[in-house]
Amino acid sequence: MNRLPLLLGIVAALAFAALPLVTTSNYVIGVGISALVFTVAAAALNLIYGFTGLLSFAQLGFWGIGGYATALTVVTFGGTFWQGLVWAALLNAVVALAIGYPTLRTGRHAFVIVTLTFALLVTLVARDWVDLTRGPLGIPDLPRPSAFGHRFASTAHYYWVAWGFSVLMLAFLYALCSSRIGRTLVAIKQNEPLVRAQGISPMPYKLAAFAISAAVTGAAGGVYTFHLGIIDPLFLDFYYMQTFLIIVIIGGAGSFWGVVAAGVALSALPEVLRFSADLRMIIYGVILVAAMFVMPSGIAGWLRERRLQRMREALR
Amino acid sequence: MSALLEVTDLRKSYAGVHALDGVSLSVEAGSITGLIGPNGSGKSTAIDCISGFQKRDGGRIVLAGRDISGLPAHHIARAGLMRTFQTVRIYERLSLRDNLAIAAQQFDPATWLDEFLRTRRYRDAVAAAEGRARELVELIGLQRYWEIETGILSYGQKKLVALAAALMPRPRIVVLDEPVAGVNPSRIREIEAALAALNRAGETFLIVEHNVEFITNLCHRVIVLDQGRKLAEGTAQEIHTDPRVLEAYLGMTPEMAEAEMRGAA
Amino acid sequence: MTIDAVYLLQLTLNGLALGLLYALIAVGLSLIFGVMEIINFAHGELLMLGAFAMTFALPVMGLLYWPALVVAVITIGLAGYVIYELLLAPLKPDEFERSILITLGLSIIIIHVMQYFFTATPRMVDTQYGFEGVNIGSIRITWTRVIGAGAALAAFGGLYLVLRHTQFGRAMRAIAQNREAALMVGIRPRVVARNAVVLASALCGLAGAAIAPIQLVTPYMGQFLIFKAFALVIIGGLGNIPGAIVAALGLGLVESWIGGFFEIVWQEAAVFLIMIAVLFVRPDGLFKSGGMRVG
Repeated sequence: MNRLPLLLGIVAALAFAALPLVTTSNYVIGVGISALVFTVAAAALNLIYGFTGLLSFAQLGFWGIGGYATALTVVTFGGTFWQGLVWAALLNAVVALAIGYPTLRTGRHAFVIVTLTFALLVTLVARDWVDLTRGPLGIPDLPRPSAFGHRFASTAHYYWVAWGFSVLMLAFLYALCSSRIGRTLVAIKQNEPLVRAQGISPMPYKLAAFAISAAVTGAAGGVYTFHLGIIDPLFLDFYYMQTFLIIVIIGGAGSFWGVVAAGVALSALPEVLRFSADLRMIIYGVILVAAMFVMPSGIAGWLRERRLQRMREALR
Repeated sequence: MSALLEVTDLRKSYAGVHALDGVSLSVEAGSITGLIGPNGSGKSTAIDCISGFQKRDGGRIVLAGRDISGLPAHHIARAGLMRTFQTVRIYERLSLRDNLAIAAQQFDPATWLDEFLRTRRYRDAVAAAEGRARELVELIGLQRYWEIETGILSYGQKKLVALAAALMPRPRIVVLDEPVAGVNPSRIREIEAALAALNRAGETFLIVEHNVEFITNLCHRVIVLDQGRKLAEGTAQEIHTDPRVLEAYLGMTPEMAEAEMRGAA
Repeated sequence: MTIDAVYLLQLTLNGLALGLLYALIAVGLSLIFGVMEIINFAHGELLMLGAFAMTFALPVMGLLYWPALVVAVITIGLAGYVIYELLLAPLKPDEFERSILITLGLSIIIIHVMQYFFTATPRMVDTQYGFEGVNIGSIRITWTRVIGAGAALAAFGGLYLVLRHTQFGRAMRAIAQNREAALMVGIRPRVVARNAVVLASALCGLAGAAIAPIQLVTPYMGQFLIFKAFALVIIGGLGNIPGAIVAALGLGLVESWIGGFFEIVWQEAAVFLIMIAVLFVRPDGLFKSGGMRVG
């Protein structure tokens, strides 16, 4: 694999680490945290949708379950933030396997619908299972985490928690996507009968991709929750799912670096489009529809097409 | 010596129609066996049932002494039966190199842990696969496309890639589903030559085809199906002149068929 | 817990009414899937637009129910036509994910445009029937509910006749059953697909218009209902219209009974749990799918 994007990625990661050192604005640092966390969630969606070809709306549900699991671990069960993240990941992986197993046997149509229904169900449970989630009031006053005696109380300090988390998750996903497992997922997306004819059973791979994307998204939800300091059913607003989707689509489904670049660039978008909540959503919708007509494979896909054209011409 | 592939009394029906009505055939190791028959005779269904892509209703399939009847497709592939598809299947968005690497992946002992730690086992497996891939690519003459996305290849070239991929794991037998359908004549010669060379090196093939000349040139034995049953079996010459075969295919007498084939050549 | 017969009857009637509503939405989704193999995410918004159309048409028509209903249904049918021509016509049968994202984008645009212009304030609309209704024993059912249910039943009857006995309907069933064969006999997929979308939109518009006098109309009302319709289409078997209707009526009853005795969260969870259970046991849905069977 071409090493250049990886080098650029490492440089960018280091540059990002320096953000709280170049600005004191909590607002800007907050945007930075959003950029990091949303990029991780988008990269997880990319794993299941871009690489494996399964459009999953369940990510929103995993995001929400992750947030609540982390919050409840700390507030109700007396654990640490770090333990909460682990629970967020594990719980979501189990849930993903449970709904993935019957659904993946059916087909891609059912999969999309089941994942959507799951996400909406999680939203309703968050709102209605008041005994567990405290319903619409939510769980406020979430304490910032501490480690080795140091408390990451300020936004700037919490930024480094988010940064460390994101770099770790993205490194893991990168290793996965560039391994044989990643290559097999791509093969499954492109030509599943051929994969079977070559001795590979697609089901374990699909389940693994689904569970891993669920775990990563859940942990990301946990990190974001503690940045917000509160979790309530609004955390499951479809707006988050749309954001992850738009990042993947604009970046290019199936391109690891395309999605990462798009994640960083587009996370600033909600802030730019702050003028009216409705107009912002309308623009999101328009972007989604327009991208499907003009650039369905995103920017990475468009670049790839150009490269292929040149190659075709060279070979004639 | 028992046959490499032994199919006994294979049955398959759809909605009351007997696509396969008790077909029995066998393929000897080291041979090239042809499977022909008019449209609707059940050739493709037979291949799908043998390779696990369709569920059979009855019958037994034994590969090198092992009963593979009813196993899922990926198990049958691991048992040593590789197949190609009528509408060519390759990974169009991947390079020739990656296409062949994936074809070998399931058959080496390296696990994801080996890969992550870059163990000796992993590196050896990758090197071995790459060596075999280069050999096969040279055989099919597509060296210049090694790193190129296979999607840009011509139809005939893609069929060659599919053939090479099927051979990567050194299977016991390769089942080819219409390997030259839709391919231009010069390419057909190439494929014929490649298959003959591979067979001389020890590979066993079962070929389903419509192209009579292709089958005649290559196959040691030919099996003819008609309406879900085995109609005839023998060498290519014997089949050519078997009146039952001519009747089923063409509804003609031997003389008419001779004239027909001379006219078409 | 003593079960009061009257209470149970009330729940059952409510459940059936709810089921008919779900069925109108689910049938449209199934129809579109059967013909085009895509899922229309904006389907709930068509219902919402139908409800809004009703709220505007009623005052203009002097609160006369039937003219307003007809106007609403036709308007939404036209909307479906426009949506098809602009967004859905270029889609090929294999572009499932792309169709979802396009209709999802459309759904977002429609909801927020409506919210932008009309705000999220719920609207109530009155009809010529007001709150009058019919009494069965100690149960009271308003005319608007009765007529809504009646209109739904009539729509299903009409749909059955169309699919079974008209050229228009037969072409749809042919495409759903075997696309290649249908193309070979000269059926034009674009025309059939467009008709299916218009028909499905009209059904949704009818549902929305029927609900408008019964409950509050907001830009989000379609969203609450649509995910259940999706689940129903899966449970009944993708593309299977009678399956969707049976599943819808069943769900309406189940939800009504559960809601009458248990917490609301279980009512909502019911559809999802049923769907997962069905998928475990019968991956193709409760009824054999594959082409639109009309009985």
